[in-house]
Amino acid sequence: MNPTTKDALWYKDAIIYQVHVRTFNDSNGDGIGDFLGLEKKLDYLQELGVNAIWLMPFFPSPLRDDGYDIADYDSVHPSYGTLEDFRKVLDSAHQRGIRVIIEMVLNHTSDQHPWFQEARISQDNPRRDWYVWSDSDTRFKDTRIIFLDTEKSNWAWDPASKSFYWHRFFSHQPDLNYDNPAVREQMWSVMKFWLEMGVDGFRLDAVPYLIEREGTNCENLPETHAIIKELRRRLDEQFPGRMLLAEANQWPADLRPYFGDSDEFHMAFHFPLMPRMFMGLKLEDRKPITEILQQTPEIPPSCQWSLFLRNHDELTLEMVTDIERDYMYDMYAQDKTMRLNLGIRRRLAPLLNNDRRRIELMNAIVMSLPGTPIIYYGDEIAMGDNISLGDRNGVRTPMQWTGGWNAGFSNAEPEKLYAPLIHDPVYGYPAVNVAAQRESEHSLFHWMQRIIAVRKSSAVFGRGSIEFLYPANHRILAYLRRLGNESVLMVNNLSSAAQAVELDLRRYKGNVLIEMFGNNLFPRVGELPYLLTLGPYQSYWFRLRRV
Amino acid sequence: MEDGNFLTDDFLRQLINVGEVDILVGLPTHNNAKTVGSIVHTIRTGILRSFPRERAVIINADGGSRDGTPELITGVSIDDVRRDSGVYALRTLHAISTKYASTPQSEVAMRTIMAAAELLRAKACIVISPESESVTPEWISNLVRPVYSGGFDLVSPTYHRHKFDGLLMTNLLYPMVRALYGVRIREAYMPEFGFSGRLGSQFLGQNRWNDGIGENGTELRLTLAAVTGGFRICQSFLGKKDPVEGRAADLVPALRHSVGVLFSALEPDFNAWSTVSGSQEVPSIGTDPELILDPLRVNRKRLRDMFVSGVSELESVFQTILSAATLAELKRIAGLREEEFRYPAELWVRTVYEFAAAYQKSVISRDHIIQALAPLFRGRVFTFVVENRNGSASDVANHIEGLCLEFERLKPYLLEIWKSKQ
Repeated sequence: MNPTTKDALWYKDAIIYQVHVRTFNDSNGDGIGDFLGLEKKLDYLQELGVNAIWLMPFFPSPLRDDGYDIADYDSVHPSYGTLEDFRKVLDSAHQRGIRVIIEMVLNHTSDQHPWFQEARISQDNPRRDWYVWSDSDTRFKDTRIIFLDTEKSNWAWDPASKSFYWHRFFSHQPDLNYDNPAVREQMWSVMKFWLEMGVDGFRLDAVPYLIEREGTNCENLPETHAIIKELRRRLDEQFPGRMLLAEANQWPADLRPYFGDSDEFHMAFHFPLMPRMFMGLKLEDRKPITEILQQTPEIPPSCQWSLFLRNHDELTLEMVTDIERDYMYDMYAQDKTMRLNLGIRRRLAPLLNNDRRRIELMNAIVMSLPGTPIIYYGDEIAMGDNISLGDRNGVRTPMQWTGGWNAGFSNAEPEKLYAPLIHDPVYGYPAVNVAAQRESEHSLFHWMQRIIAVRKSSAVFGRGSIEFLYPANHRILAYLRRLGNESVLMVNNLSSAAQAVELDLRRYKGNVLIEMFGNNLFPRVGELPYLLTLGPYQSYWFRLRRV
Repeated sequence: MEDGNFLTDDFLRQLINVGEVDILVGLPTHNNAKTVGSIVHTIRTGILRSFPRERAVIINADGGSRDGTPELITGVSIDDVRRDSGVYALRTLHAISTKYASTPQSEVAMRTIMAAAELLRAKACIVISPESESVTPEWISNLVRPVYSGGFDLVSPTYHRHKFDGLLMTNLLYPMVRALYGVRIREAYMPEFGFSGRLGSQFLGQNRWNDGIGENGTELRLTLAAVTGGFRICQSFLGKKDPVEGRAADLVPALRHSVGVLFSALEPDFNAWSTVSGSQEVPSIGTDPELILDPLRVNRKRLRDMFVSGVSELESVFQTILSAATLAELKRIAGLREEEFRYPAELWVRTVYEFAAAYQKSVISRDHIIQALAPLFRGRVFTFVVENRNGSASDVANHIEGLCLEFERLKPYLLEIWKSKQ
């Protein structure tokens, strides 16, 4: 079955699994995960229940930024296999009903990319204008520096051509010049290459930064939106049913334009929500969560938010206030080595002190708020991290499949692995691995399987409206999701203590509540406030049904 | 845990919604709409500024206001339902209210606040007077922080006060508490204070709420409970305290709530205070309080006239309370001309101690004893005003210190008459 023939809004019902080929499974024993290894694990992903995978950059690259420094857009990194291997993964995934979303870094290339190498040869080179050059480093002064820990300026000096070049990220990642029509045409060609191969969508990296203008902060500019609209127009015309997912770490009001009038992105990450979920959990107060969602503008019906708890980057704290950032650091990263740029480089389980109840609660919330959830590889088994590894590599360690040799990831000698395995007593692979959790009925893996299945049982989660209930008990996050005649009620206890809550459900008088995990009946809704008690960090999902 | 049955179901429901808190601010009110609005906003600012991460609640115990006081208080809540763009808060701040009666009773209000504090397991609690228009956001921090992070159980305030403000405090309560209990707490009968959950729970459980002696003056009884219970006490400087309008006419009720409470505590606390000699400073946080010396018109003639008429009209009452020598001396000074009149410290201390002993023996109605003290106190105030009319801050401080030492020096006299009366 090729899922691309189905519903054009497939991404609204998707449960996406984010994986880096390098980290997942090594088929040839060289210590590095590869496409054929990934293909062997597609059954696992199907068993888990996800119906889409997002592959992080797998292109040829010097790997100075884990593949986000692309040196060739039309091939795959030899460490991961061949284009043929990639096609195999694509076909196998589609046969299992799993869509494949790939990364596309539009904003910049590696400084090793032939385009840049040509551009720097001389100021007269035809490729020269593919990048942003300047005789001084004073242009675009109002632009913030993103990688504060490593970069002092957005300009870097090129001794070869004796000019400064513009880079919003690392200095080895020169920004492409999107004012140049040739660049825009070339990048569409790149996307087209992969779309023709059959990929279902792109996660477009760093989209707010495509265009620079003096006197602005060089983010979210109208010209950038025009470029995206043009890409979308071509996509819809030539490849209907494919999807664009925006990485734009912005406030909700600034994010909204990236959906346009359904003519820019299909999806965008809701970055400001994620840290506020962690904040709400620690504060035991729903206020940060409901407030950011109140500030989140309506998006066109065909568009969708993408929700996540953790990913390959640091837990970004760019979209929070200074007070909130200090609080997050103090609560989640007291050890300063856990901090990177404006964020916290930790995985989900260590952030939550490996507290199973909190891990389940956070997953229950992210699976039930409006949007498409993304699971970062390994978080479904509560993998740990290794903060002694530099940059964000601590959250990119090999997947832990078994308690055996190299965690079942690779047959290579351990010292050949691209990154060391997690060995500590709590998160180490002998304790935390897929094989063990498959054997245990009460494992997090099986719980994740169940919640994914429940979410997939109703389109209300991916497509329904949301209405927050505001019970006076602020530790309770409760909301109704509705689609057509179907209504579901979510009640989440953010507190470490048992809570009682009274919900105003009078509009649903006469309905019974059916708990969706056990399909058990709860009392009928009447005129009085509906009283519920919840254990610490407990979450209820109810289907409302008139009987 | 204190029996919480006297709390209404509605209030309990509100407390359930609030849940455990770190900081509780209590506001006992009765028709305070004129002042409480700005006070409660200041409290909120203080919480948000100094304790943005802590779980806090403002609890109003209202004695049947008809002027919308509770609504002004609950209106400062911060939650995710009502958006207040002018206020930033990390977390929810509940401001809840309960009406305990149709008439104000400070004891019930305090009991309600303390019961709520115990149920919510509040770590640091403070009480703010709904008339304290001088309150600033710093007051909240200065009252909370010694408990919340300093390990103290009771925070007693100090203020910059006018030299003739708080005369009951300077001429009776401070020196007597100091002499008897051995601790130098300037504002033992305090309009604002802070206390720990530990002290609040113990005090709540003492169950003296309905035995008639504690109907008012809970604040003073809390201070004495902290002293006798070995709790850690400190004083925290708050700032300038403006006198509350109209309070001058309320002397007898003030005596009941303060001196009456002190006198009634002496009997159960006898073992604690009878063995104390001398006095110790308590730790002080912040600036030393200063006396404000602005000229202030005091109707001295009226004070003396009330003293003279009181001594004359209440002679038969005084005969049951005072020793013959003391009464004779009072009659003598009552006969002096205004410019010669002086109610000396020693005579004042003997008077107070004899009143305390008479109160303990209940020689007449205890309330009558307290009422009878009023004209004598006015006579003492006359002398204090005359002595300090042109005095510098240090002169006034020296006079207060002298009076304190006199109370300490004559403490054996109190013990003597206390025992003989028994």
